[in-house]
Amino acid sequence: MSETILAAEAVHTHIGEHHILQGITFQAQADGVTVLIGRNGAGKSSTLKTIMGLLPASQGKILFKGEEIQNKKPYDIARLGIGFIPEHMGIFTDLTVEENMQVAMLREDAESKQRLEQILEMFTALKKFWKTKAGNLSGGQKQMLAIARAIVNDITLLLIDEPTKGLAPIVIDALIDAINQIKQNSVVVLVEQNFYMASSVGDTFHILDDGKVVHSGMMADLVADKELQSKYLGISRIAD
Amino acid sequence: MAETILQRWGQKFFILGAMTLFLLPLMGMDFKTYLTLTIAGVAVGMMLFLIASGLSLIFGLMDVINFAHGVCFAWGAYVAFTVFKYFESLVVAPSVFKNLLVFFMAIVAAMIVVAGVGIVVERVLVRRVYGSHLFQILITFGGMVVLTELIKIIWGPNDEVMPVPATFKGNWDIFDVIVLKYPIIAIVIGLIVYGIIQFVLKNTKVGKIVRAGVEDPDMVQAMGHNVFLLFTAVFAAGAGLAAVGGVAMSMFTQQVYSEMGGAYLIFAFIVVIIGGLGSITGSLVGALIVGLSYNYVAYLFPPLAMGVNILIMVIILLIKPTGLFAAGK
Amino acid sequence: MAELTPVQIFRREETDKYFKTGTFYLKLALVAVFFMVPFVFPSFKVIDLALKIMIFAVLVASFDILLGYTGILSFGHVMFFGIGAYSVAMMVGKYGSPSYVNLLIGFIIAMGITIALAMLISFLSLRVKAIFFAMVTLAIAEFAIIFATKLSGFTGGEDGILISMPGIFKTSYQMGTFLGLEIKGRIITYYFAFIVSLGLFLLMLRFIDSPLGRVLQAIRDNEPRAEAIGYKTFVFKAISICFGCLVATILGGLYVMWVAYANPESVLGIPIMLDVLLMVIVGGMGTLYGGLAGAAFLMIAYTFLPDLQNLTQSLLPNAHLLHSIMERWLLIFGVLFILVVFFFPKGIIGTIQDFLLQRKATSSD
Repeated sequence: MSETILAAEAVHTHIGEHHILQGITFQAQADGVTVLIGRNGAGKSSTLKTIMGLLPASQGKILFKGEEIQNKKPYDIARLGIGFIPEHMGIFTDLTVEENMQVAMLREDAESKQRLEQILEMFTALKKFWKTKAGNLSGGQKQMLAIARAIVNDITLLLIDEPTKGLAPIVIDALIDAINQIKQNSVVVLVEQNFYMASSVGDTFHILDDGKVVHSGMMADLVADKELQSKYLGISRIAD
Repeated sequence: MAETILQRWGQKFFILGAMTLFLLPLMGMDFKTYLTLTIAGVAVGMMLFLIASGLSLIFGLMDVINFAHGVCFAWGAYVAFTVFKYFESLVVAPSVFKNLLVFFMAIVAAMIVVAGVGIVVERVLVRRVYGSHLFQILITFGGMVVLTELIKIIWGPNDEVMPVPATFKGNWDIFDVIVLKYPIIAIVIGLIVYGIIQFVLKNTKVGKIVRAGVEDPDMVQAMGHNVFLLFTAVFAAGAGLAAVGGVAMSMFTQQVYSEMGGAYLIFAFIVVIIGGLGSITGSLVGALIVGLSYNYVAYLFPPLAMGVNILIMVIILLIKPTGLFAAGK
Repeated sequence: MAELTPVQIFRREETDKYFKTGTFYLKLALVAVFFMVPFVFPSFKVIDLALKIMIFAVLVASFDILLGYTGILSFGHVMFFGIGAYSVAMMVGKYGSPSYVNLLIGFIIAMGITIALAMLISFLSLRVKAIFFAMVTLAIAEFAIIFATKLSGFTGGEDGILISMPGIFKTSYQMGTFLGLEIKGRIITYYFAFIVSLGLFLLMLRFIDSPLGRVLQAIRDNEPRAEAIGYKTFVFKAISICFGCLVATILGGLYVMWVAYANPESVLGIPIMLDVLLMVIVGGMGTLYGGLAGAAFLMIAYTFLPDLQNLTQSLLPNAHLLHSIMERWLLIFGVLFILVVFFFPKGIIGTIQDFLLQRKATSSD
């Protein structure tokens, strides 16, 4: 059993009056991609945001490599080695691709520059549009930029929120390739509604419903279990 | 993905059209008056730019309305006044070097003092009311009252006459046209400041982070940058800019009075609304529009001068509710 | 006879309960106090203070209709007050003569202008973000002041317009005595203003409680949702704005009837607008009575703080530091204001309401 990189223990979060997270408990191990799946409004995005410190946890603990981070500010959490790609990608539209990367790079050392080189090899479109304003990129290219920004630093954990949203299937396949490459170097926690994506890259899964983790296990098992898929993910039975 | 022709050139068409409009007043006056008014208008525009640019950045980045911004303007003027009074010999000396020296000292002193005041205001007042415009208005209004009263306590309640270094007084004779020295100098200062700000924003990492923060402060945080420190810094910088504006304006009008902040604050808001939030170029263009149109109309139909500014503001709001150059949000 | 619907039954219960609650008698007492002022305190200063509190209280309440109930911050509210003031002043003074007819015409003209302007700003609020809207109204209000000051041919400029009131409102009018009180024109004007102000206040209360008013609160709390349910939010907002502004206009006319002059500083000034904003916050947003509390608090402070300054000077003649601080009482005021906004954001009435609600919640457990 490899190291537990991320652990959430009975985390509650409130947004105003709404009790969004009602006791999230799960772990992400160092080997493999952990996927959080569930319906709309189950609390998946809120979980990631709480881990990242963008939403304050009202109760519970979040541990990163054994250290408690639930009370830290987002920028401190990021500097601990956690990358974040939000649902809306968070691209700075008025800045060029180059400038987006410059804001992202926390260090200017040789390592970071080397990482940048490798990333640009992987995402050649970014190289091509290096001096273009990020707002003019296509959806898929923006997603690539979002990922590039997150992994250019030396991160241990990468949090990704619904990366396939609004993307064409062919782009999704490219995304799957990218994530499969990334998971060799970092732990990935992925939030997804798209089961195809989730099952293609995920190793472990946790199903969220109503702000709680209701089921966990290995992805391979979930793929085989149509009952479970139908019950929690609303995936209808298609006649085999 | 490709910009439409209108998008790309639309702004430039508008500017061209506006420039033509600004030649209209020629029909109502002789050329010399027009020239004087234009130069004065551009000069006033530059000073408005100084006070508005800070406001635009603070509003654009932090989503904060700061009614105390005008007081920073006044404080800048008063600090410069003190510097000029203290180094009176340098002010009246007929040496360009000495005049420039004391002017430079005044500006630096004003910027530092007011930036300091700005930091205090941001930490003590503004920080607690992030998120609610109404309470920001109320709190900063209270701050404005307190800071204005402090002026009266520190410098006394009387209006003062601003001493102007000898080099800046008087006029030049260009092709038989008498041109006042100071407005030209003010314009140059304004352009230099604009250049510096644009350079910082476009070419330094901090500048890029600020521009990113104007679009999405949360994302900037999640990327490892301490936005709160950034906010304080931008707030202080904005206050400092307003201070420079105050120095420039008080030297222009040769008046220093405690209420001068309030008078120009409204214009600053109009400029920011016309120019768009978070855009320095927008503040410049907006300020020039306001300064020029106010001057022309003040000469032709005095009571309507401000009305014209409001009219322009309303028209622009109807066409583009976020202002001319608003940062893409 | 038709059966009562559940809503009607509920409303009847509410009304019955209403007359039995303590606050009802408190309100009655308040009305009585204002009624009795001229009898108990025949000094002009006190009657003047009372009338100003009355008018400002209702003015602040009308502002609260826009801010607290419709969620719209407009800095132009005092401008409408000024429109009413100037209109009456012009009809009775500068361009007309003191007569009841002219007085009425003055009010009617003012109301017409107000409705037109209010509709205009309603359209504007539809188009731009809330904070831009606030700034635009500030600019317009500022412009109105400059306009009134500079167009002195039309508006009497900085000095404004001096008038004398017609008939029974005329200061020199005498009508004998009643219960020991000399019924002069002043007194009659006071009671006229009293009745009209009270009427306007009751009208506003009725407006808030009406189905229309409740839709407004829904809009304030969650506009997209109200729209989704099917309410044409724009129409409601426009009506509310017009209503609030109309009340302000009428009050302006009443004010001029009492002080008998109108000039930019006293009826249009931005300081007055900021005072109104202050009163609404100190008193409590979204509670019409907050206006009363805030107005009373502030007017009394303004009247007596300078006196406090004199008091400390006479009591402690050697505390020079204290003196110079007291001289700048505005500074203390500013600091106090900030503290109030920080610690009592719901204002006097709001905090009391919260406190009472808490007590009710814990006692019913």
